[in-house]
Amino acid sequence: MPHHPTRHGLGTLLFAVAATFPGLSFADDAPGDAAPPASPPAPPTDIVVEDRPDDAGDGLVVRWTLSKDDTEDADPRTVLKYVVERKPAKGGEFEQVGESTYKQPEFEDEVDHGTAYLYRVVAVGRGDVRSPAAESTEAVQPVLQWFNGRRAWFGILLLVVCGSVVYFIQIARRGTDLYIRPIAGLEAVDEAVGRATEMGKSVLFVPGIQDINDIQTVAGITVLSRVARTVAEYDAELVVPTARSLVMTTAQETVEAAYLSAGRPDAYREDDVYYLTDEQFGYVAGVTGTMVRDEPAACFYMGAFYAESLILAETANSIGAIQVAGTAMPSQLPFFVAACDYTLIGEEFFAASAYLSGEAHQLGSLKGQDVGKGIGATLVVLGCLVLTATTLFTVRGFDVGLLTAIGDYLTQNVLGDGGLSR
Amino acid sequence: MTDLDPANINVILATDCGSTTTKAILIQKVDGQYRQTHRGEAPTTVEEPVADVTVGVTNAVTEVGELAGRKLIDENGEVIRPASGDVGCDIYISTSSAGGGLQMMVTGVIAEMTAASAKRAALGAGAIVMDTIATNDKRQPYQRIERIRELRPDMMLMSGGTDGGTVKKVVEIAELIPPARPRPRFGSGYQMPVIYAGNKDAAETVTETLGDSVALSVVPNLRPTMEVENLAPARDAIHDLFLEHVMAHAPGYDKLIKWTNAPIMPTPGAVGDILKTIAQRQGISAVGVDIGGATTDVFSVFPGADGEPVFNRTVSANLGMSYSISNVCAEATMPVILKWVHFDMDERELRNRVKNKMIRPTTIPQTREALVFEQAVAREALRLAYEQHKAFATTLKGVQQQRTVGDTFSQDTGGQTIVDDMALDLLVASGGVLSHAPRMEQTAAMLVDAFQPRGFTRLAKDSIFMMPHLGVLASVHPEAATEVFERDCLIQLGVCIAPAGKPKPGKLCFKYQIDGVAADDEFAEVLHHSGEIACGEMKLIRLPAEQEARVRVEPARGFDCGAGRGKPVERKVRGGTVGLVLDGRGRPLDFEAREEVAGWYEALELYPE
Repeated sequence: MPHHPTRHGLGTLLFAVAATFPGLSFADDAPGDAAPPASPPAPPTDIVVEDRPDDAGDGLVVRWTLSKDDTEDADPRTVLKYVVERKPAKGGEFEQVGESTYKQPEFEDEVDHGTAYLYRVVAVGRGDVRSPAAESTEAVQPVLQWFNGRRAWFGILLLVVCGSVVYFIQIARRGTDLYIRPIAGLEAVDEAVGRATEMGKSVLFVPGIQDINDIQTVAGITVLSRVARTVAEYDAELVVPTARSLVMTTAQETVEAAYLSAGRPDAYREDDVYYLTDEQFGYVAGVTGTMVRDEPAACFYMGAFYAESLILAETANSIGAIQVAGTAMPSQLPFFVAACDYTLIGEEFFAASAYLSGEAHQLGSLKGQDVGKGIGATLVVLGCLVLTATTLFTVRGFDVGLLTAIGDYLTQNVLGDGGLSR
Repeated sequence: MTDLDPANINVILATDCGSTTTKAILIQKVDGQYRQTHRGEAPTTVEEPVADVTVGVTNAVTEVGELAGRKLIDENGEVIRPASGDVGCDIYISTSSAGGGLQMMVTGVIAEMTAASAKRAALGAGAIVMDTIATNDKRQPYQRIERIRELRPDMMLMSGGTDGGTVKKVVEIAELIPPARPRPRFGSGYQMPVIYAGNKDAAETVTETLGDSVALSVVPNLRPTMEVENLAPARDAIHDLFLEHVMAHAPGYDKLIKWTNAPIMPTPGAVGDILKTIAQRQGISAVGVDIGGATTDVFSVFPGADGEPVFNRTVSANLGMSYSISNVCAEATMPVILKWVHFDMDERELRNRVKNKMIRPTTIPQTREALVFEQAVAREALRLAYEQHKAFATTLKGVQQQRTVGDTFSQDTGGQTIVDDMALDLLVASGGVLSHAPRMEQTAAMLVDAFQPRGFTRLAKDSIFMMPHLGVLASVHPEAATEVFERDCLIQLGVCIAPAGKPKPGKLCFKYQIDGVAADDEFAEVLHHSGEIACGEMKLIRLPAEQEARVRVEPARGFDCGAGRGKPVERKVRGGTVGLVLDGRGRPLDFEAREEVAGWYEALELYPE
């Protein structure tokens, strides 16, 4: 293409003047546009259509060799874009399905599964002049893949974590002692119930204010089982006010079973596990009233808590009770930590079941999950290091090919969607 | 009790009536200082055919008198008092563990709380606690009644409930006693003494429940609140009842009680008293151990949660060197014991050796191999007894904790041990295998290996088991007791310097520098030298008991010698018959190779050819 710096510069000047003096008007066609249409660019060649990998058989990838006119030194550009057209192999007309900008010899097309297609690509120049089309010679049908290879890392991780769980369950069954660090809040159950027994006072257990479908309530009920068993063994008194009717029923059955397993079914009183109200602050008023009147010597808060956490903990603190809390609500944890004697924090709370039961399959699961968490934490640290190193070395002009590849994999596959969103 | 002015006490006679031997010592003022000058012993005569403890006492005192050239017993067979010239003594005191000592049962509501406090009170008073009954001991009432009947304790201590706390559970326990109809071991004609030290609100009901079946004494609650432990009234009551009931009914003790100027104390209680007195006077933390044939007693004084010194005593009933040796081997396991034996030994031969020791408890090792093996067993027995002691000497359980957000990841539970090996200043050994080891180095090595002291720790031994005498003396004349304890009771073995940390083979453990003014040219070189101790290495530096020195220790990174990891420590130390033991093995001690043990034994010159 011939170069026309003067005409191009004049157009820019006119645009600038028009912008400065909005009252002025010009003819619709600028002098440049009035020039005769350019000659069509050379067509793209070697068109290849392939199945898109790692998908559900609903995509094809079209690749071609760029037009000879699609070069860097052309100014203005001769080729502005490529238009991709397709038609079913069984017959029909070519229809435009997408475009690819200059210098991009690839296009991913979403197609119907089970249909074979033919493609053609046209290079488009200035003034929408089009090159002759390059056509694929063979019809290609998309193929369904059973596995998404870009998610292989996830499969490996899954295998490792599941394998760890199975492995740890097996070794726990063989009698190997799996170490779980002592959780002070759970160790303190005996101490708190003992204190209540010595002081001749009751033990108060609050299973949170959420319903039984909340996993924290379920974890709280697990701890309740242990507390109730200890209370039964010590022949103390247990009071469980609940904020949901279903939680009450579950708690009643749990406490009854605990008393039975402690060999004290006669000591169980159904009325000690009761329903107060669904209303958040109505419930809190009821529980704190019980605290002030009966002055329990030990209070347990195990479940999901909101604004009432500090009200409960401060009230029990004022009556001199030992308090053990457990929740996975990050916003409430600082209050519990500061006001209670012992606090189960997040994961500790969920680990309570395995910790208390000591059963092989629960301990094995806990250990296996720890392995998964360990791998996750390692990957996060590794990813940060790789991406930081890539940036630093690139700035200093080093060859960072491998690091870039790792970084790309981490950002596109591990952190990205791995092709799942298409 | 004596009305004598302590300043006028010049001659003190003390006896300790043990199960087999009655030991007498004479303490006299020499050049203005109290010194133990003579000692003698005679068989105890509490059993038939003599059945009078004073006969054995008279024999032992006569021996002391003959050795001292002083007439201590008059024509009527009684101790002559006061002293005049070469005749008599100013005060006479005695302890007793004859007939198995004071055997008690304790009760409480929760085993780890009031029952544990009751056990501490009983053990601290010098008793042997035969069993502990609590509502959570998982036994049925009939089993508890059966137990009280079977054991026939000399005395019972009841506790339970805070003041204003549970009444029901305390009374439930009290209800077990009348049906058990407990019969004391001595004197079938008297009622068993029971001390009630529980919830004051339950005292009346407990009194009614027990009725005339026992001789009940009510004292203030030993756990008035969960946060407070008040053991003194219960301990005093135990001492009083020990004299009034138990001792008064043992053969000959009625006479002996009249002879003494201070109440007769149970032997272990007296040992505890002297250790407590010394620790308080010197402001130190101390551990004492007495390893016997059947039991091992461990005493300790460490600051409690409130910073005040707390005395604890445990009796490990199944850890001993003769009757209980099989139990030690079973509990510690043979491979662990054999780790301390630095040469090959046939396991069959070892088992024979153990069983022989059990059925012939008085035999002593005749060969070097037998000695090494016995001392290996002693190391493990002491280690296990110390572990039991640590588990017992704890802060109170059931106490409300005060937290801040800073405690998020460091929430300690109640009942943590107060025994801090780094804070331990003085470790005192007594009992056959420690006192009568052929070489002092062996005693020191056994203490270091079993107790694994950290930082700077003084090692000493009470070779003639004089501590009981001094314990009673401390109640009459603390100054004399302290003086004799320091000068004559303890044989200073030396100082162990052992940084805590995990050793890395071949790496440096610590550097040391010793400075001081040598009293003798022989030690001039020792007092101006420095060196390095590698991980896993031990070194013995000879320094006599009268020699003082300043030792500066610079621990390697990761090692703590009392000031924190990697921080240097400088202390003034005094030598001993062994000297300075520099221990680079790290803490806790963990080793596998037998070659290492041989190297340590060689370094400490334990078993020279």
